[in-house]
Amino acid sequence: MGAYIARKLIQTIPTVFGVALLIFVLFNVVGGDPTYQMVGKHANAQLIAEIRHEYGFDQPLWKQFGSFLGEIVTFDFGRSYATRQKISEMILAGIGPSLTLAIPAFLLTTFVALVIAVLAAYQRGRAFDRFVVVACVLGMSVPMLAYILFGQYVLAYRLSWFPISGFEYGWPDRFGFVALPVLIWLIVSLGYDVRFFRTAVLEETGQDYVRTARAKGLAEEWIYFKHVLKNSMVPIVTNVVIEIPLLILGSFLLESFFSIPGLGNITIEAVHNSDLPVLKAMTLLNSLLLIGGNLLTDIIYTWVDPRVELR
Amino acid sequence: MKKAGVGLVLCVGLVGVGASCSRNGSTANDQLLAGKVLHMAQPERIKGLDPALAEDAYSGIEVSRTYETLLEYHYLKRPFVLIPGLAESMPEISKDGKTVMFKIKKGVLFQDDPCFKATGGKGREMTAADVVYSWKRIADPKTLSVQWMFLSNLIVGLDEWRDQASRAGKASYAIEVPGLKAVDDYTLRVELKQRSGQFLYYAATPGLSVVAREAVETYGTEFIRHPVGTGPFVLKEYNPAARLVWEKNPNFRKELYPSEGAPGDRERGLLADAGKALPLVDRLVVDVMIESQPMWLTFMKGRLDFAVPPKDSYSEAITLSKELAPELKSKGIQLQKEVLSDVTHVSFNMRDPLLGKNKKLRQALSVAFDQSEFNRVFYNDRAEQAQGPIPPNISGYDPKLKNPYRVFNIARAKQLLAEAGYKDGKGLPPLDYASVASSEGRNIATFMEKSFKEIGVQLKVSSYSWPEFLKAIKDGRSQLAGHAWAADYPDGQNFLMLFYGKNMPPNGNNDAFYSNPEYDKMYEKALTLPDGKERTALYRKMVSVLVEDCPWIFEAHRHGYYLTQPWLKNFKYHPFEHSRHKYFRVDPEIKAQYSK
Repeated sequence: MGAYIARKLIQTIPTVFGVALLIFVLFNVVGGDPTYQMVGKHANAQLIAEIRHEYGFDQPLWKQFGSFLGEIVTFDFGRSYATRQKISEMILAGIGPSLTLAIPAFLLTTFVALVIAVLAAYQRGRAFDRFVVVACVLGMSVPMLAYILFGQYVLAYRLSWFPISGFEYGWPDRFGFVALPVLIWLIVSLGYDVRFFRTAVLEETGQDYVRTARAKGLAEEWIYFKHVLKNSMVPIVTNVVIEIPLLILGSFLLESFFSIPGLGNITIEAVHNSDLPVLKAMTLLNSLLLIGGNLLTDIIYTWVDPRVELR
Repeated sequence: MKKAGVGLVLCVGLVGVGASCSRNGSTANDQLLAGKVLHMAQPERIKGLDPALAEDAYSGIEVSRTYETLLEYHYLKRPFVLIPGLAESMPEISKDGKTVMFKIKKGVLFQDDPCFKATGGKGREMTAADVVYSWKRIADPKTLSVQWMFLSNLIVGLDEWRDQASRAGKASYAIEVPGLKAVDDYTLRVELKQRSGQFLYYAATPGLSVVAREAVETYGTEFIRHPVGTGPFVLKEYNPAARLVWEKNPNFRKELYPSEGAPGDRERGLLADAGKALPLVDRLVVDVMIESQPMWLTFMKGRLDFAVPPKDSYSEAITLSKELAPELKSKGIQLQKEVLSDVTHVSFNMRDPLLGKNKKLRQALSVAFDQSEFNRVFYNDRAEQAQGPIPPNISGYDPKLKNPYRVFNIARAKQLLAEAGYKDGKGLPPLDYASVASSEGRNIATFMEKSFKEIGVQLKVSSYSWPEFLKAIKDGRSQLAGHAWAADYPDGQNFLMLFYGKNMPPNGNNDAFYSNPEYDKMYEKALTLPDGKERTALYRKMVSVLVEDCPWIFEAHRHGYYLTQPWLKNFKYHPFEHSRHKYFRVDPEIKAQYSK
């Protein structure tokens, strides 16, 4: 497995290079010159020239790309154009709040979705299963923004069940501030997750070995919970594990609407301000986490399904 | 009620956790907000606390909590009046207007900070040398200060000092600038290149605040988040993405709430705190709330002390007769309406061979633009028709001015278009309109397209990201572009400079590339005149030239609607006094009554 991981990591290098090139073209070539925005309303030619020189905008593109590659290698993305903060520090500061929201939301969603999916699959075709399928479709059809607006207005403002927005660093108060966003995350994600997990379980129930087990007279519960569930774990684990590294990034909309100072919020604000270095860093981080998630999924495959061998 | 299912049980658990935090007084957050605390929201991430880099209004406000300027504005008096800030008195100005002598207040201390090693961390006294250092720092090319616009080409020797620093790659603060001299600890002499009607306003701009050299040198690049000032508050918590907490500066000198104001202020209770020591709150908590709905609901819940009703919640807050909605009245909320010191406009690219040379065409487009409808659709009718560039409450504003090309009249617009040589738009190619690629930008562009189509003029909309939009305008790539300008100081020059020939990009903000030697001559003369009848008459003459030449479609001066909680006292809109929150008072008893 060590050789596999090493090979995969080496293969990552051209992928990251490709991603870096794409990001550079998007932000440095297509995205435009941010100098006027940085100068604001008080621009003059001298200051514009000085800022261009200081930030290297006057350098040829190949040199700028070289600097960007250097930033990736050292993981030092410089400073935000908008706030002049070190981007690495912004990222580190944002991880905690993002994870405060994302980990409970992810664990709850996965657990609840699995339970509902297994029960629905077990009762396939019956009233509960049909209700779950319809509820999932309905849940997926409503955009997250609608849940947020409803949740803030009805549950937080009118009923006072939750704080309207904000974040607190102290424990355990911070959980109170993420309770409503977690609930919305749960509701929004359930539809997709339940349908996916239910399909994975149902696919497994159609396998030959299940028919054989039934023919041998094994109890339905035993077949289901001992054999079917275990074997349906491969696609489920794939779906779940690949999400884990991305949890660090939090949720753009939830963090923005609930004023949670996580990485999602930082990204949204960077979009508002056209803060290109922050956007570049966040896009790259997203790509790296996705690559890491894929690698992690491959490794976990071997634990879930002994037939899978990494070579 | 029976709760079936794991999901429901978990949801109930979440509600329990959330409810524990939504009750007043139950968390550290509530304790932070208890007592004489002003709690407010800012709609943007705070970009930093270095005055030299504070380009936007929100950063300017935050900077002014801890940094101070030589002059400031009287909080209550209208029209806006300058008063001494760090200066002991208003400066003495020589007859030729070129020498300005500031007497500096004695006993003004910087806040305690470890950067003051010589005093063991105790804040030292602020002197004239600190002003010299602070202004030189703005001129230092390495600072990349956006405030340089205020000082460039103004003070004798400062531009040369900057040029020398540029050439050497490093500024030498030991080299004296002839026009900027600390005569002694409490006297500052400023030699101007020529008389300036605006210099005193510059001296009240947050960007020209006084900083301590020790702090700049100790904290280096982190100085932006480590403010060390002389002002009423000191920073206790800095999270630019979420929250800033300021507390009363124990070193703050004795400064009193004004005992005079504008007519009507006494009746409104704005002089009830006359003579009391500032600031009137112990703590100031600023939450960053980018989205308008949570800000609005938090205000309605009584957890923010003042707010601006967002566009989407406007009808919930304000009735059709533009009064406060009954629900808000029952909560004791009060409404203040003010005309903002800004102007929105569409600028024509005067370098464009088609638009720049055809005055009748520009006039036709101006007449075809239905401002009332625009204000209704985009501003909830909270705006008034602009007749020229200068807004009300700004020196040089002419309330009697009626711009003949801002009277919406399709028939007249068609006639002007025919006189321009394009009857019913025939022969006129589609005009390129630059727009920001946002939902509002697109909606405005659609409105413009519809307006001009009425007279047969086609628009071609080019959508840009914000940085590209700015660049497109500055490069003169578009034929028309929509924009807004808010005043930095209450002088019409701050608007008239947008048409001065030498201010064309990249040297300034004459984004219409308007060039008129007659106008430029008047502008240069006005710069050297003190505020008075002669200057006002000149300003009005300049505006009349602009009205006729029509380099802009003068759109609107927007109105600000401000809502305050019943426990917030002394709220008065002031667009230029950034440290205004030191005058605000929160009455905890009234707050407790309403909370019940």
